[in-house]
Amino acid sequence: MALLEVHGITKRFGGLVAVNSLDVSVDTGHISALIGPNGAGKTTAFNVIAGFYQPTEGKVVFDGMDITNMRPDQVCKLGLTRTFQVVRPFRGITVLDNVMIGAYNRTNNDKIAREKAYEVLKFMKMEKLANQIASGLPIAGRKRLEIARALATEPKMILLDEAMAGLRPTETDEIIEVVRDISKQGIGILLVEHVMKVVMSLAENVLVIHHGVKIAEGVPDEVVQNKLVIEAYLGEVTTDAAN
Amino acid sequence: MNNEMTKKSDAQMPKSALHRWLRFAFVDWEQTQLVISMFILALLALTPLVVRSPYYMGIIILTVLYAYIGISWNIVAGFAGQLLIAHIIFVAFGAYTTIVLYNNFGVSPWFGLIASGIMAALLGAVVAFITLRYGLKADYFALFTIATMVALKALFLKWEFVGGAVGMGLRIHEPGFAKMIFQNKEPYLYISLGLVFLGLLAQYLIYRSKMGKYFFAIREDEAAAAALGVNTSLYKTYALLIGSAMAGIGGGFYVMYVTFVEPPQVFDLALNVELVMAGPIIGGLGSLLGPLLGALVNKPLAELIRGFLSVTRSGSSLIVYGSFLILAILFLPRGLSGLLHDAYLKLRVLIYKEEKE
Repeated sequence: MALLEVHGITKRFGGLVAVNSLDVSVDTGHISALIGPNGAGKTTAFNVIAGFYQPTEGKVVFDGMDITNMRPDQVCKLGLTRTFQVVRPFRGITVLDNVMIGAYNRTNNDKIAREKAYEVLKFMKMEKLANQIASGLPIAGRKRLEIARALATEPKMILLDEAMAGLRPTETDEIIEVVRDISKQGIGILLVEHVMKVVMSLAENVLVIHHGVKIAEGVPDEVVQNKLVIEAYLGEVTTDAAN
Repeated sequence: MNNEMTKKSDAQMPKSALHRWLRFAFVDWEQTQLVISMFILALLALTPLVVRSPYYMGIIILTVLYAYIGISWNIVAGFAGQLLIAHIIFVAFGAYTTIVLYNNFGVSPWFGLIASGIMAALLGAVVAFITLRYGLKADYFALFTIATMVALKALFLKWEFVGGAVGMGLRIHEPGFAKMIFQNKEPYLYISLGLVFLGLLAQYLIYRSKMGKYFFAIREDEAAAAALGVNTSLYKTYALLIGSAMAGIGGGFYVMYVTFVEPPQVFDLALNVELVMAGPIIGGLGSLLGPLLGALVNKPLAELIRGFLSVTRSGSSLIVYGSFLILAILFLPRGLSGLLHDAYLKLRVLIYKEEKE
C-alpha cells in the first residue's frame, strides 16, 4: 500500500467543480508532481489532502489511516505536512523560532526542539540566519524557511506547493537538490509546480490535471508528449497551427 | 535573539560582579526585559519611603494594577493576536465575584480572588467556545466581545442579587489582613506588586515556552500554524483562559481597593481603553515590558490630565487623553519597549566589543 492514497476526491464550491474524482498515490521516498494550467485545481487538491478543506466526495488515506475528516494539525501529527504557494513565514519572530514551532510537533521539550531546529537549519544551509527576524528574509530565504519548518515537524511526506516559483535559476537548482536530499531520507514528496525544469528533473511520476480532472499520468517524458496535455497548456492544436 | 552561540560565549569567566550582572542582563532581550521589569518593581516597592500623600500613593497602586491587567491582555492580544477588545468583562466578573462572596457570604477576599479567577476563566471558556464553534475571527471576534460586554451590562443592571443599577459597595468592617481591608495604602501597594510580579513571571515563562511560540504562530498566520501541527483552537482557548483568569484576579483586587462596583463603571469601553488597552499599546503590544512601561506612563498621565482639566474645563480631559493615545499609536508603533529594544541592541554591541578587547 502506498504512503498516500487519494481515492476519487471531488471538491465543489457551489456550482464549480474544482477537483473532480481525483486519484493520487505517492510512495515513501518517492517524488510525484501534480501539474496543470492555472486554475486546474492543484492547490484545491492540496488543501483537501492536507485537511484544510473537506472533500465533497472521496477519501484520503495516509499511512493506512483515513484522514479525510481530520484537521491540518492532526494530519501533521500523523506525518503529513505542506508548504504554501504564497510563502507564509511567521513574520514577527526569528527564523529559529519559526523552525522551532515546526519542531514542537514532536516534542514539548524546548531544548530538543531547539536542537532539532538547528539541525534542520543546517541542512537547509540557513544556520547563519537563525536569529534574523523572518520578515527580513529575501524571497529565496523565505522559500527555504517554508521547507525548513515543514521538515522540522519530522514528516513522512511533504506537499510542496510551488516551492520554486519566483526564484532565480541558480536558486531553483539549489532547492531541487534540497528536495532530492529530502526524498533520499525516505520522505515522500508531492509537488505542485509550474517550472517544468523542476518537474522534469525531480518527479518520478507526473499527474496532469485540467479543470479538476486528471487527464494524464506517467513518467515525465511520456506525459509531456501526451496530446491532451499539450492541448491543455497550449489550447487545441490544429493541423494548420502545427504546420 | 536566543542565540546558542552567544550563550556559549557567555559561559566564559566573567571579570567582576558588575560585569557578571551586565552579562546576565544582556544575554538576550527577553531576559533584559525581565531584569528591567524587576528593577522597576523594586523602585515601586520603595515609593512609600518618599511618597507621603495618599492621593499619589493611590495613583501608584492603580498604576501597578493597570500593569497587571495589561499583562493579562497582552498574553491574549499581544502574544496570541486575538482581538479581544472588551477584555474588561473579565475584570468586571472578577470584581463582582469577590465583592459578592465577601458581602453576602463573608468569604475572605484572598479566596475571593481565586474564585474571581475561576469565574472569569469560565466566562473566558464560554467566549472561546462560542467564537470557535462559529468560527469568529479577527473583527468578528472583536465585535463579539463588545456585544458580550453590552449584554452583560444590561444583565447586571437588572440583576438585584448583585446590586442591580446601584451596584455594590464593600461592607467595611474593621480593617484586617484576612478581610484585605487596610487603613493605610501600603498593603494595597504590596498586594498589587505581588500580582504584577507573578504576572510578569507567567508572561516570561509563556513567552519562552512551546505555548508562547504557538501563540506567536497563531498571531502571525493561523493556516501556516495548523499545517505545522498547531491545534489552533486549543491554543486560542488556552490564551483566553489564561488572560481571563488573570484579569478576573485583577478585578477582585480592584474592587477591594476602590470598594465599590457598578455596571456602568465596569462594563464600559472608555474604562476598557484606559485600564486594559492603553498601557500595552503605549508600552509595546506583544513585548514583555510593554504593559508595565505603558502603565507607568498611562495611568499617571490620565490622572494628571483629569486633575488639571476637571476643575477648569470639565469634560475636556478625555479629549486630551484620547489625542495623546492617538499620537502614541501614530509615532510609537512598537511602543516604548520598541525604543528600548533599539537602544539595547546598540548597547549590547558595545558590551560585547569591550569584552573581546
